[in-house]
Amino acid sequence: MNGLERVMAAVRFQPTDRLPVVPQLFGHAAVLAGIKLVDYLHDGALLARCQLSAEARYGHDAVFAFMDLSVETEAVGSTLLYRDELYPDVAKYALRPGDDPARLRIPEPRQDGRMPELLHAVSLLRQEAGNRLLIAGSVVGPMTLATQLVGIEDALYFAADDPDGFERLLDYATDVIITFGKAQLQAGAHVPVVFDPSASPAVVPAAFFREFLLPRLKKVLSAFRQNGAITTWLNIAGPTAPILPLHAEAGAEIANFDYYVSATEAQRCLPHTCLDGNLKSLDFVEATPEQVFKTAAALRDSFAGRGGFLLSSGCEIPPESKPENIEAMIAACSTVPPWQS
Amino acid sequence: MSEDLAPELKPLMAALLDGDHTSALRETQALLASGLPRERIVTEGLEAAMSRLDEKCTVEGFNLLEIMLVGRAVSAVVNELYPGGEPPTAGKATFIIATLEGDVHDLGKNVTKMVLIGKGYRVVDLGKDCPVQTVVEAAARENARAVLVSGLITSVIREVRKVRPALAARGLEHITIVAGGAALKQATPEALDVDYVAETAFDGARFLDDLVGDAQ
Repeated sequence: MNGLERVMAAVRFQPTDRLPVVPQLFGHAAVLAGIKLVDYLHDGALLARCQLSAEARYGHDAVFAFMDLSVETEAVGSTLLYRDELYPDVAKYALRPGDDPARLRIPEPRQDGRMPELLHAVSLLRQEAGNRLLIAGSVVGPMTLATQLVGIEDALYFAADDPDGFERLLDYATDVIITFGKAQLQAGAHVPVVFDPSASPAVVPAAFFREFLLPRLKKVLSAFRQNGAITTWLNIAGPTAPILPLHAEAGAEIANFDYYVSATEAQRCLPHTCLDGNLKSLDFVEATPEQVFKTAAALRDSFAGRGGFLLSSGCEIPPESKPENIEAMIAACSTVPPWQS
Repeated sequence: MSEDLAPELKPLMAALLDGDHTSALRETQALLASGLPRERIVTEGLEAAMSRLDEKCTVEGFNLLEIMLVGRAVSAVVNELYPGGEPPTAGKATFIIATLEGDVHDLGKNVTKMVLIGKGYRVVDLGKDCPVQTVVEAAARENARAVLVSGLITSVIREVRKVRPALAARGLEHITIVAGGAALKQATPEALDVDYVAETAFDGARFLDDLVGDAQ
């Protein structure tokens, strides 16, 4: 089986030759190649080359055209602060909390901000890897884009003080996300992964998620499916147990879970949905390869009777991670072939 | 609602717990107009509300939205009580709080600060992207009981590890160090060379309550 076949078999709860592994390797690919992170985040060709080099070294099953969480907000007018080795932050937000989002236009992904570079990365990855690997594009989710358009503190106060106005902001964010995701599918992505860290129960209560975010996430994932995504993938980090069952209702076929949620709890919440997770991000920096291997092997074994699992980290693998720790995680996938669901 | 709470403070407590800053401000103004000492509004209103919120905010039940709304209401009350910025209880304890150099995410720090102010502590906020040496100088100048450092990204860990040696170099090894935030709470206190790693703002505040209580 190749990487794409392996991942899609897991999504369908079918047997695989080994446990699929989809580490959330983003900026680490630049560090591994000796490239400045800031260059990686601006150059689609460089991003694609680094992703493929990382895959050649580690042998995982998916590559990610992911820059950072600020691509969309920059494309519609926010100003970012870049530093050589850190992800950018928003220096000036495109909107103030009371502003009508109608004053912003929907971006043109082939022209605005770094969106064209991300699309270039997607098309190069697809050109090079074809259907050998899963080519994952990336968008932020509606809540994360709303917080990136006005700032997270102002966005949360706005949601409480003017729910109708905040819903208009979420609707605008949803339209931006669908536009960008569709462009990624046209460029060759198999699936745009929806990263929505601000939708975590650490940020907003589960009732807020259900009322304000679930309908928009449904719309986003449904639009991606209608436009050719071969699967749907929702990635929300943090203590997501209260909202994990809603991932299936949102239409996600792959749901990320972080280290806060045990494998048993995640399986109970989503018995028929493929899960990915949940190694602790910091372990890739601080732990030993033996410790990572042991944790990964235990996680692998906890899914052995069920299948529907992609081994991964619960959140991003930090750029400064030790390569031997990533190798240890991947080694845990290969030690008990064939891995049967 | 606590049964032993003075009846005149119940509407303020309710407004604070609802995160309703407009009502909290209105209730505070009414209490001051009625002649209630501001110290009672702090101890029986603000601190009692924070204790109630603490009980509600388990690790599973902690979310920024609700905490920030309560924090905004607390800030409105504190600003009304002490318009000149005078600390509510200067004698209780002073903490230094900062997001260290290399990290510009300060929401967790801001929430922690709001919780501690609500509990009646004096908090000196050094902002984000803050050099360790600035933290040390502030700790010495302000006679701080503890230094609180927050971090969302793992790369800031190397800065956290510098705090204790830098304090010791200034003869401040008695100052307690507490870490928190999404990246730092994945680590152990030993790994960070700190005294405590807080799971949430309230968890950290409980540790500090014990620390200050034990010392008194």
